[in-house]
Amino acid sequence: MRGSEVLINVLRDEGVNVVFGYPGGAMLPLYDDLRCADVRHILVRHEQCAAHMADGFARVLKRPGVCMATSGAGATNLVTGIATAFLDSSPVIALTGQVPTGIIGNDAFQEADIFSLMIPITKHNFRIMNSATLSNDLRSAFSIAMTGRYGPVQVDLPRDILTCDVSSPIEGRKIPTNGTREDLTELPQAVQLLESAERPLILVGGGAVWSGCGPNIIQLAEMIASPVATTLMGKSAVSEDHPLVLGMVGMHGRRVANYALEECDVLLAIGTRFSDRMIGEPASCRTKVIHIDIDTGELGKNVRPTVALGGDAGRVIRTIISTIRSKKGGAWTERMSLLKKECACNLDLPDNPIKPQKVIYELSKHLPDDAIVTTEVGQCQMFAAHYFEATGKRQFITPGGLGTMGFGLPAAIGAKVAAPDRCVVDVAGDGSLLMVCQEMATAVEEDIPVFICLLNNGRLGMIRQLQNQFYGKRLFAEDLGSSPDFVKLAEAFGVRSARAKDPKDLESVIEEGITSDRPFLADVWIDREEEVLPMTMRAESGTRVIAGKCAWKGVC
Amino acid sequence: MEVISMIVNDEFGVMQRVMGEFTRKKINVETIVVGKCEIVGKARIVLSVKERKQAEQAVERLGRLQDVVQVEIVDETRHEAYALVANSFGKARLIGSLEEVGSLIDTTKPDRFVKTVNAL
Repeated sequence: MRGSEVLINVLRDEGVNVVFGYPGGAMLPLYDDLRCADVRHILVRHEQCAAHMADGFARVLKRPGVCMATSGAGATNLVTGIATAFLDSSPVIALTGQVPTGIIGNDAFQEADIFSLMIPITKHNFRIMNSATLSNDLRSAFSIAMTGRYGPVQVDLPRDILTCDVSSPIEGRKIPTNGTREDLTELPQAVQLLESAERPLILVGGGAVWSGCGPNIIQLAEMIASPVATTLMGKSAVSEDHPLVLGMVGMHGRRVANYALEECDVLLAIGTRFSDRMIGEPASCRTKVIHIDIDTGELGKNVRPTVALGGDAGRVIRTIISTIRSKKGGAWTERMSLLKKECACNLDLPDNPIKPQKVIYELSKHLPDDAIVTTEVGQCQMFAAHYFEATGKRQFITPGGLGTMGFGLPAAIGAKVAAPDRCVVDVAGDGSLLMVCQEMATAVEEDIPVFICLLNNGRLGMIRQLQNQFYGKRLFAEDLGSSPDFVKLAEAFGVRSARAKDPKDLESVIEEGITSDRPFLADVWIDREEEVLPMTMRAESGTRVIAGKCAWKGVC
Repeated sequence: MEVISMIVNDEFGVMQRVMGEFTRKKINVETIVVGKCEIVGKARIVLSVKERKQAEQAVERLGRLQDVVQVEIVDETRHEAYALVANSFGKARLIGSLEEVGSLIDTTKPDRFVKTVNAL
C-alpha cells in the first residue's frame, strides 16, 4: 500500500469526511488518491483560509478539522491559521507537503522548514522520515489534538513517503502527554468557598464551550444563586437570556458584567486563561479565585487562584454540583438582576446613517435559535461580542486569542460545512473581509451558502477609534476609502448581494441574507464615526471607563 | 540558581521544542548539559536558570510537550558544578559545589573556561 493510501485510510478511520486544501507539487501523490477517496475535498482559494475553515469546522463539531497545503509557500500560508487555532485551543490537523526526504535541507524548490516554523504554534508536530511510522504518527496526531486541552497538530509529509510502499508499519501509538492531571484535591475548599460566598460570580471561558458544559454551569449558578459572566471566548457557552447571565466581561464587555467582576467576593473561573483583554492587569483582580482548567499550566499563570482545580470543566462542575448545598439568592443576586436590566439599552436605533448596534440588533432579532455567528476582527467583532444576543443554541465563533483579521468568512464556510442545516453568518468589517474575499469563490463553487453581514464604514474602525482615544486624534493609515464596491465584488464572485444605506432597508436585507440558499453578502453602510463604547480598562490603580453614550450608572 | 532536569525523547527537533519554551517565556538558559541516559531512546537534559519563578514557568510549559517524558526542578543539595579550564600551562577539570568551582575559577583566573551545572 502506498503512503498516500495509508493516509486516506487513517482519515477514514478517524471519521474525517471532509478536508480543506490546496494542492501543489509535493502533495500531488496524495491528491491522486484523494480523487477516488470517500472524502470531500474543498478547494480553497488561499491556504490560510483552509486552516480557518478547518478551525471553524472543529469549533462547531468539537472534533478535528483537517486542512492541507503543499510544501514551501503553501505550508507557510497555513501558519496564521494554525496560530489562530493554537491560541483558541482548536483541534486542527494540518497536513503539509514536503520535498522528498533525500533532499530536505538542500533548499529544494518549494522547500521550507515548516517543521520548525510550526513548533511554537502547535501542540505537537511530526515530520515523517520513515514510511513505517506514517500510520502510527497520523493516528497519534489525532489523539494528541483531542486529548486534554485541544490544539492543532501538524504532520509534514515528504513526497517520497506518500509514494513509497508501506510494507511493515510500526504499530503502537504515541501516548499523548498533555500537562493535564485531573486534580480535585482542593475541591472541598472550593465548595466551602462557594457556599460561604456573599457575592459569588461564575466566569465562563472558552474551555466551557469546548467542554459543552453550559447546562451544568447554569444548574450550578441556580443552585448557589450566582450571576454568570462570560469571556469573549466563553460567549454562547450559556444562553444569554437566562436571568442570571450578565453577558461578556473585558475591555469591550458589558458594564454590568465588569461591575460584577469588580464587586464579587468569590470568582469561579471556568476554562479561562485570564487574558489581558479580559482582566486588564492581573493585579487588579483582588477577589478570591477558584480556577478550573483542563490545562494545569494555566492555573496561576496570570492570576494566582485561592483554589485551583485541574480537569475538564464539565466533569469538575458536575462534581461540585454533587457535593454543594443549594442556597437562596440574597441582596447580591437581586441587585445584579436589577443592574442587568439597567444595562439592557435599546438598540433599535432609527439613526441615519445606520448604527452598527442596530445591525447587530436585527441579527439578534431575526437569526434562528441555533444560528452560528462568526466574526472578523476589530470593531465589527466587538460590536458583535458586546451586543449580539447569544441565546438558546446559538454559537459565537471568534478568533479571540490571535485576533486574526480575515478569520470570519473562512470560519463561517467551515462551520456551514460542519452544520449545513444551521444558518451561518459572518459579521464582517470591510478591512477584514478584503483580506479573504477570494473565499467567496469557494463558497459559490462548493455551494456553501453562508451569509456575510458586512459592517462597511470604509475604515479600519478600531484603528481609528484607538487613534482617537489614545493617540490625540492623530488619524493615520485608517482610511480605506470607497474601494471596492462590495456589491459589485460579490457579484463578480457569483455571490448574491444587496446594499443597505438607509435604516429602513436594513431589516429586509438581513432577512434576505438569512433565508438565502446561496452565498449572500449584505453591504451595510454604517455610521463612519461610531465607536465601540463603553471601553473598560482595569489596572492595579483602579478601573477607567470610557463610557461614550453608555448611560449605565451602576446604582439601584 | 535553579536547576531543571528532564527526560526527553532522543529525536531530532526535541532541543528546539524545549528551548522554544524558554524563548517564549523570555528566559535565558544559564547552563545546559544534554546526553544519552540510562533509558534506551531517551535523553536527559539538565539546565539552569537564574530564578525560581522562571524555573516554575518553564516547568509548566515543558510539561505540555509531547516529547518531554518527565520534568522536575532539582533540589539544591543535588546540584554539582563542572568546569574545564585552560591557560598557557595546560588544561584542568574542576568538579565540586557551585561555590567551590566558582571560587576556584575566580582565584586561578584561567584564560579560557566553560562552566556548567549538572544534577542527578
